[in-house]
Amino acid sequence: MAVRGPIPWDLPAVTRRAVDSSETAFARLFEEYAAPIHNYVLRMVGDPDRAADITQDTFIKAYRKLDTVTEATSTRSWLYRIATNTAIDDMRRRRMVTPMGDDAPAFANRPDHRPGPEAQVMAATLDERVQRALMHLRPNHRQCLLLSDLDDMSAQQIGDVMGLSYAAVRTLLCRARGEMRRALAAEGFAR
Amino acid sequence: MTMDRHEPFEELISASFAGDLTDAERDRLDAHLDRCSQCRTTLAAFADQRRIMSGLRHVAPPRDLGARVRTGIERGRFAATPWWRRPAVMFAGVGGSLAAVAGALLAIVLFNGEPAEPEVGQASPTASIASIASIASLEPSETPRPTLPPIATPTSTPDASPAETASVQPSITPSPTSNPVVEAPEPDVVMAVTGPVEDLAFNVVDGTTGDETPIEDSVGDDAEDPVGPSGPPIGAELSPDGQWLAFMTEIGQRGVNDVWATRITEAPEPADPEATPAPASTVEVGETVHLGESVAGSPFLERMSWSSDGRYLAFTLADPETDEPDADAWIFQTHDGQALPLTDTGNAYAASFIPTVDDTTNLWVSVAGDEPRSYVISLRADTEITPGDPAELGTNAANGFQPLLSPNGSLAIFWRGRMSAEQDSGWVFVENGAPYLAAHDVDGGTYAFSSERTVFSGLAAEGPGFRSAAIAWGLDGDAYAVWDTGWNGDAAEGQDPYPDPIRVYFGHATDDRGLTPTHAIDRADVDPELMIVDVEVAPTGGHLLITVRQASGGVMDAPRAELRLVTRNVGDVPDEVEVLEVPENGWVGPAVFRADDEWDSSLAP
Repeated sequence: MAVRGPIPWDLPAVTRRAVDSSETAFARLFEEYAAPIHNYVLRMVGDPDRAADITQDTFIKAYRKLDTVTEATSTRSWLYRIATNTAIDDMRRRRMVTPMGDDAPAFANRPDHRPGPEAQVMAATLDERVQRALMHLRPNHRQCLLLSDLDDMSAQQIGDVMGLSYAAVRTLLCRARGEMRRALAAEGFAR
Repeated sequence: MTMDRHEPFEELISASFAGDLTDAERDRLDAHLDRCSQCRTTLAAFADQRRIMSGLRHVAPPRDLGARVRTGIERGRFAATPWWRRPAVMFAGVGGSLAAVAGALLAIVLFNGEPAEPEVGQASPTASIASIASIASLEPSETPRPTLPPIATPTSTPDASPAETASVQPSITPSPTSNPVVEAPEPDVVMAVTGPVEDLAFNVVDGTTGDETPIEDSVGDDAEDPVGPSGPPIGAELSPDGQWLAFMTEIGQRGVNDVWATRITEAPEPADPEATPAPASTVEVGETVHLGESVAGSPFLERMSWSSDGRYLAFTLADPETDEPDADAWIFQTHDGQALPLTDTGNAYAASFIPTVDDTTNLWVSVAGDEPRSYVISLRADTEITPGDPAELGTNAANGFQPLLSPNGSLAIFWRGRMSAEQDSGWVFVENGAPYLAAHDVDGGTYAFSSERTVFSGLAAEGPGFRSAAIAWGLDGDAYAVWDTGWNGDAAEGQDPYPDPIRVYFGHATDDRGLTPTHAIDRADVDPELMIVDVEVAPTGGHLLITVRQASGGVMDAPRAELRLVTRNVGDVPDEVEVLEVPENGWVGPAVFRADDEWDSSLAP
């Protein structure tokens, strides 16, 4: 199983790159953030095609607004905020047709090209159950939990992304954990 | 929905994983964990959960993602002109209609401490709250106040254009010259919200005086640690006496709503000096009460209703913490600032207050289910509210769901169909759902609906039907608006879907055609990528005031919304649209219209 290594978020160098609106800076930004943003969005919407579209739109929007990033702005929060809003818009549009709860974790059924078939079967099963539990969470709970546990953000950073106060994030995150606990239990995870 | 004693520690446990605890919090948590096995179990469960989450498979983005991004950038498909730079002509031609609508302006304003600098080239706001406030008041019209007519048997002519019929019956696409205008002095206009949401400072702004009342949860249990709204306001209702403003805000992104009430003025002098005055409130002017939080996602859950004497606000809360929708009607008592559950069945929704007679205030409460029914529950000032089953508490059972009474109580729009519960939305219609317009008959102490007809013409009475929709009456008791329509089946396709979920339908009860596709406002009034948050019908019945949420996804964008005043025009003449308040970087809306004393006195049925 791939293990995500620490990512040097919010380094001054990253911010400088963002402030510099050159093509090179954007390319490096993309290289650094494309994978984590894609994974975050994928877990948000549970569908690889939608996740790819949302990630694509996120970076197009980021490119067009690159010159507005300031030294004081956290590049990471900025990108995640764009991704979050883009995902929310996508879910909101789809909600007109299909209730959120019907979002199936379709990505779990897609081919996985990694080696190790037995381990992969086990991992896919686990992954599918966790994703199914995630999709039972309300969108804002899901966002909050993913930003915390998948992307290792602090409450302050999550607040920057979601436009919430520090206190509101702590409350929301606690509720999200409680909801996820029940959802995981329904998927057969003990405790 | 009460907080158990472990809840504060669960929040500390949750926060501890990201190192978000202060030393004092850490000590407090450690001490509690030493003696609380339940919280130790919670700690272990949250730790397991975090481990499980970190073990999620890392999925690489598509290999062609970079190429797709590059292509998107080069195509410039996201280079649409920002809304504030669009040609002013889009919003032109409103002068006359504004003069016809505006009186004084009452605004709710959500401020951020540090508004962002406008972007290069950003136009100055086309109007401001102050400028709207300065617009001349409406001259009292010589047109007689329209009486509410009996509802005629439908003679469906869905294809007739408004222009063809405007001369023979009240216009469905009114203009300042053709629409009946209430005889009473025009109730004051409006409210707005400006400012990003990051600092979460709210204000109620009176458009007449420009006075601002900051909103802060400062009453009851929250007084020592006030926490204000954490997201943008999405709906508001002003009490008929003008003392209170009730409003709902989102908690973060859509999912859960908060309900609040702010006392914005002192009690007005009673119009009738012989009448029993309402009891003085323990809540001071400028204080805000947090009434509860609820699952969002359905217009049925976002309705609030004031009693005509301003003593009570009725609303619905669906517990966001339960797996199944657990919706009950609640009552906010203004005299003591208490919010109390009125029902306890988990499927009850507050509907509308019936104009008060004597000391008894009657409220329609609806029970969702396969065959939704509504009951009239009486509230008495000398009797404590005890939650129960609406079928046992109430009288006057009637078929139908959540009747929305016109301001003087003579008409109602209610729902029929089969309902089902959904976790994210509460109860919604799943079969045969449709809104109906009916006379609301008052005979002694009994209430009933009669002469009903469907609100929307040309839609099958049986089948998938509506899921839900938001509805608002105008203060004239004739005009009404329907928006946020959800349809379970495939909407009629063609040039425009019908019902169209992203357009507002604007009709009049006196128009026996009901609503047809021609009653939808122009597509250009609100761009498809934007979202309609709230709609108010102007007291003249000739205009709509729409809170429009901007598309999100921009750089560090807080939620943004603006107020648009839409004047309907007939035939090929485009609607007139004016932006009343342009947020530089924030949220403006929702708006309410303030009735004056003279109008208020006409409430009695």
